[in-house]
Parts: sequence; structure tokens; C-alpha cells
Amino acid sequence: MTRRSVLAGGAATALAGTGLLAGCGTGVAPPPGRSDRRPGERVTLNFWSWVPGIAASVDLWNKRNPDVQVHLDTIIPGGSGGYAKLHAAVHTGGAPDLAQIEYHILPAFMLDGGLLDLTGYGIGKYEHLFVPWQWRQGVFDERVRTVPQASGPMAMFYRADLFAKWGIEVPKTWPQYRDAAAKVRKADPNAYIMAFPPANSAYQTGLAWQAGAHWFTARGQSWRIDMTDPGSTRMCDYWDELLHEKLILAEQDMQSGWFAQLQRGQIVSWVGPQWGDALLMGNAAGTAGKWRVALMPQWDSSHPAAANWGGSSTAVMANSQYPEEAMRFAVWLNTNLDSVNLLIKGGYGWPALDNAYHRTILDRPNKFFGGQRYNEIFAAADKQIDDSWMWLPTTASTLDHLNASIAGAVNSGGRLVDALRTAQRQTVDDLRAKGLKASGPGKER
Amino acid sequence: MATTKRRRLSPGIWFLAPFCLFFLLFFVLPIGYALYQSLFRTERTGLYGELGTHQVFAGFGNYAKVFAEGAFVQSVLRVLGYAVVQVPVMIVLATVLALLLDAASARGVRFFRSAFFLPYGVPGVIASILWGFLYTPGISPLVSIGGHLGLTPDFLGPNTVLWSIANIVTWQFAGYNMLVIIAQLKAVPGDLMEASRIDGANAWQAIWHIKLPLIRPAIVLATVFTIIGSLQLFTEPLVLQPLTANVTSTYTPNIAAYADAFSNNNYNYAAAEAVLLALIAAILSFGFLRLVGGRRRG
Repeated sequence: MTRRSVLAGGAATALAGTGLLAGCGTGVAPPPGRSDRRPGERVTLNFWSWVPGIAASVDLWNKRNPDVQVHLDTIIPGGSGGYAKLHAAVHTGGAPDLAQIEYHILPAFMLDGGLLDLTGYGIGKYEHLFVPWQWRQGVFDERVRTVPQASGPMAMFYRADLFAKWGIEVPKTWPQYRDAAAKVRKADPNAYIMAFPPANSAYQTGLAWQAGAHWFTARGQSWRIDMTDPGSTRMCDYWDELLHEKLILAEQDMQSGWFAQLQRGQIVSWVGPQWGDALLMGNAAGTAGKWRVALMPQWDSSHPAAANWGGSSTAVMANSQYPEEAMRFAVWLNTNLDSVNLLIKGGYGWPALDNAYHRTILDRPNKFFGGQRYNEIFAAADKQIDDSWMWLPTTASTLDHLNASIAGAVNSGGRLVDALRTAQRQTVDDLRAKGLKASGPGKER
Repeated sequence: MATTKRRRLSPGIWFLAPFCLFFLLFFVLPIGYALYQSLFRTERTGLYGELGTHQVFAGFGNYAKVFAEGAFVQSVLRVLGYAVVQVPVMIVLATVLALLLDAASARGVRFFRSAFFLPYGVPGVIASILWGFLYTPGISPLVSIGGHLGLTPDFLGPNTVLWSIANIVTWQFAGYNMLVIIAQLKAVPGDLMEASRIDGANAWQAIWHIKLPLIRPAIVLATVFTIIGSLQLFTEPLVLQPLTANVTSTYTPNIAAYADAFSNNNYNYAAAEAVLLALIAAILSFGFLRLVGGRRRG
């Protein structure tokens, strides 16, 4: 608590605005490699998270580490307001020691100066424990800024019973998926192979990722935004066609109406993330045993690629008074097998722990998927993810722009690639509004 | 002289002090802070501002950008269009309900008054979730009944969702506005009504010539509330957002400011939006008051 009062003074003088405070965020961090904890002193770390079931892991840590207690504050999910709370806390110096931050939001907290540089605390010795691409999601300018927790490799959930009944082979390529979509329409006029969410741009981002896009890249000190590359364009044209021919349903996913259609067999597949398994089991319990999982349909079967949807980390915040202890907890939380198994039970996603599939309870047959060891598929998918994907300090607004422009295109029958172009222009503006340098795919403007 | 004056003043000051303190602290100060913030912008070097971050004076730059980007202007036009329909519907409905309950022949007045007022007791978020279920195809009885009748109601479509929101708001607040008007109706002197009856006025004439002119202040008040409420539309569209692609992050001015402040973390820009919205609400509310006030004087 003394940390709070010390910081309160600093924060009050710096209350002038975001920019000044961003500088301050890094200023309050103690010199690397040092912690304020005296040997034998009992300390409490504050941890903000919303991950279901994470309390069990925290309890386990607390039982095993009486001197370094972790106080878990369950906050609302980041996108629903949790990040707003955390940003505000960073600005006023009241951030917790540790916080749940998704990969695509990490750069926004870089901008705030909210993330502690863990490099000086010896985080390097833990690198080999993690999935390499997930590790790199938390590395900025060669400094390690977070401890990776989980990702969301994508694969295809499908109703094996209905596919068999309607004589549909499990599609391996996107053209085959299109044919399968047409067969579903013919077999049951109320059924669709999938719902294409017009305002869930994390989904389309994943599809572009699979198609080989690199929407956001760095050129020196400037961001380069290219959302209409050949891969993204091909992906967009493909979905344009399916939408225009009404082979798929334009409808928001993961909401009550969509769940009802899953229950009734009116939506018979979902190209979704691994953490979607819990959503299906929880919201379509009546269809247990009828689902299977297969790899995502491919653009080029000779170069199989998967996509990723979502991913999260345990970040040590810059103003933590006990950074070493906080880092030790974050590493333990995400690599200790007991903890990881508890987190898997809660449905936290695909572990950032390397080779987790064979070492954890992921390697088990599941009744909901007809006894399939379905995580095997996600383990394979995880290996096919293009690991060079980068996120922006303004990813949240880009996803908002995409939601609006894609929904507009779907409503008006416009082209999806034009929606991406609109979002691309807006993204360049967003970055410039943050005082950063950015350009579109063309020449510097 | 001086001492008596001070003695007379001091108790009043103490009564006023708590209000003034909180008014300053939670009203004037935040508005001043928002004004201040709206005049700055941030300049950064490096990909993440790691090489330097400065707050620089932007003048009215943020305001210029709000107008240039257009999304906020569009959201204002959207809620204005909404208000043009919603305000009259709300006020007419509230007035009619109030007059019905006030009518001499009304039965079950207490029951209906509570029933009409009840939706106001349901928090906005809950009301929106509730209506959200009634709007969602696949689980909504309304949609499936419509389907059986050969209709395909789409409550969440690009051109309909605004009116679905208007419906939620009307459902919630018509009863409240009705109560404001009823309170004023109760204050209509009985002898006035008696006199009108003796003079041979029928119920319609009594409403038109006595009740409506006398409840005019209550109607004006309810109208101002509704205008401000329309501009500040926030909860209902935000709750419906996950259900439909047609409520964007710049759907209403408040949602746009919220997204810019808390999702895009651009406080300066959001402050400019908030200040503009407050200005528009003030202009419309005072404009309306002046309009009706002027007519009264005329």
C-alpha cells in the first residue's frame, strides 16, 4: 500500500494529460533487476484478470508461496471495459502489479508506458518454455514486455452427423467449402454451413492472417498499413461470392440467436478458435457427440496455413514495486503444469506453454466431439500459424472500423475488399492522431 | 450595518455550501478539465512513442478533426433524426396516458398508473437485454409469430434497429413522463373543472381548454428531458451491439466519445466530442425553452 501513496504524489503532478503520463509510466519503474522486497518479507501482488477459472491457479500459487501472495481482482473482460479501467489506472499510477492483456492490445499499453521491460529481470532464461510465436507477440524492439499465456489457433468445428447424412465430404480447401455450403442449402432450406459475422472483425482478421496477409508492419520508425494485399483480396472476393449467392448467413456469431441455430442444426460448421470448444459445449449441449474438428480449409494445400483468433498474456505493469516476484508468478502461472491444467479446465485457450498438447489434459478424447482427441487438430493448426503477425497500438479502433465497414458492405452488397480499404485509410489516420508515423500501402503521404 | 448583513448571510452560505462544493467538484471541474483536454494532442517518436512523447497545444485542432472525419457528425444527425420521431411519440403517448388516468370515468387508476410506470423501474441495461431477446431471430416469439403470419420482421436490420431502440426507450420512459404530467394534472384546481362543467363544457373541451394549457409546464419539462435523453442515447444501442452488425462504434455521439476515450484511448479527441455534444444539447434544450417561452409571452 505504501507504493500507492508514493505513486499518488507523482500521479497528481502529472495529471495534465495522457502524453505526459505516458512518459511518467516508465519513469516510476525501479531500475531493472531490483525489487523492493526484503528477504523474508511477506508481500501481496495485485492481479487484474477476467479469465474464467484463473482463481483456481491463483489459489494454488498462494498455497505454495506464503510469502508472495497474489490478490486476484476479477475485472470485466478487456474489450468490454477492462482495458479502459487499466488504461486509466496506468495514467494515474494506480495500476496493479499484474494484468491480463491480450496480444492485440499490448502495443496500446506500450504507448502508455504501462508495460515493464522484463529483459533486465532475467526473463530470457524462461524463453525456451514458451511457444516461439506467442513469445514474440510480447517482444517489442527486442525487449520482452509480457509473459504469454494462451492463443486461439483456428480450425473447423463441424456437425459430422449432418455432413454424413447429406453426403458432404469434409472440405479441405476453400473451394470445397463453397461446394459444401451449396449442398447444405440444398439439403435443408433452413440450414447454412456457417454464419459470417459482419461485425466481428477479429474473425476476418484471422481469415486474412491465414491468407498470408501482413496488415501491419513496421518500416523503421513508421507503421505501414496494407490491408488490401493479394491474400486479403482473394479472401474478400471469396466471401463476397458466398454472401451474394446466399450460401452463407450474414449474422453475428457467439450471441443467443446464433447459439439457438447451432442447437437446431441450422448452422452446421464454425471455422473458429480452439477456445470456441467451451462455447459450443456450453451453449449447444443438446448436440453433444455430433461435432468433430478438422483443419481449416486451405487456399493452397501444398502450403497449409492456419489462423489465430485471440491470445492473451500476463503482463507485469511498469509501476509494480515487486517486479521480480510478479514476473516469477506470471511465469509459474503459465508454465507450471498444475496451473496450466487448471487453466485449460477453465477454457482459457491454447497454452503458450511449448508442447503443451502432450503434457497436459488437452490430450484426451472428448465426448462432445464423439470421442475425438480434437485438440490434436489444434496442436497441428498451432504449428501452421504465420508467426510474423504484428499488432498496432491502435488495433482496437481498427477492429471497430472494420466492424462498421464490413457491416456496411454486407448490408449494401458492396465489396468486402473496399471495406478493408476504408478501414486501412482510417487506421493510418488513427495512428497519426496518436502522434505516430504511418502510411498506407502506396507511397508516403 | 456590516455586522447585521454578515449575520444574515452566513446561515444561507452554509446551506448553499454543500451544493456549491459538489457542483464545483463533480460538474464544473470535470467540464473544465474536458475543455482543457480537448485543446491538446500528443506527439510521439518511435513505433510506440518509446523515443519520446509530448503533449502539445492543438488549439481547435481536435474539433476540426471531429468535423473532418464525419463519423461523429453522422452520429449527431442520426440521433437528431431519431429525436424528431421519438420526442413527439413519447410526449403524445405520455400525455394521452396521463389524461386517460385523470379522466373522471377512468377505472383501476392505481393499477394502471403503477403498470405504466413499472418499466421505469427496470434498469436500462436489463430492459435492453430483455428487448434484445424479443428482437433476435431464432429465439424471439415476436419474430416467429411474424413468420407464421408470413411476415419477416427484422428488428435488428440496418434501417430498423434505430426504431427498435426508440421502442425500448419509449417503453421505459413513457410511464415516467406520464407521472410528471399526472402530478401537474392533480394540481388543476377542482373548482375550475366544476365551473367548466357548469358552463356546459364536455370532457374534450375541458381537456383542450383547461387541462392542456395548465399542464403545459410539465409537458415542456418532459420534452426537454426527452430531447436531452435522445442526444445522450447510449445504453440501449450499446447493449444491442453484440446482437447486430448495425450498431457501430460511432452509432450515437455518446458511443463514439466512449469508444474514442476508452477503447481507442484518445482522451483529447473524445473530450472534443463530449464538449461538442454538450453544446448541441444545450443549444437544443435552451432553444426549445425559448421557443415555447416566447410563444407564451406572445
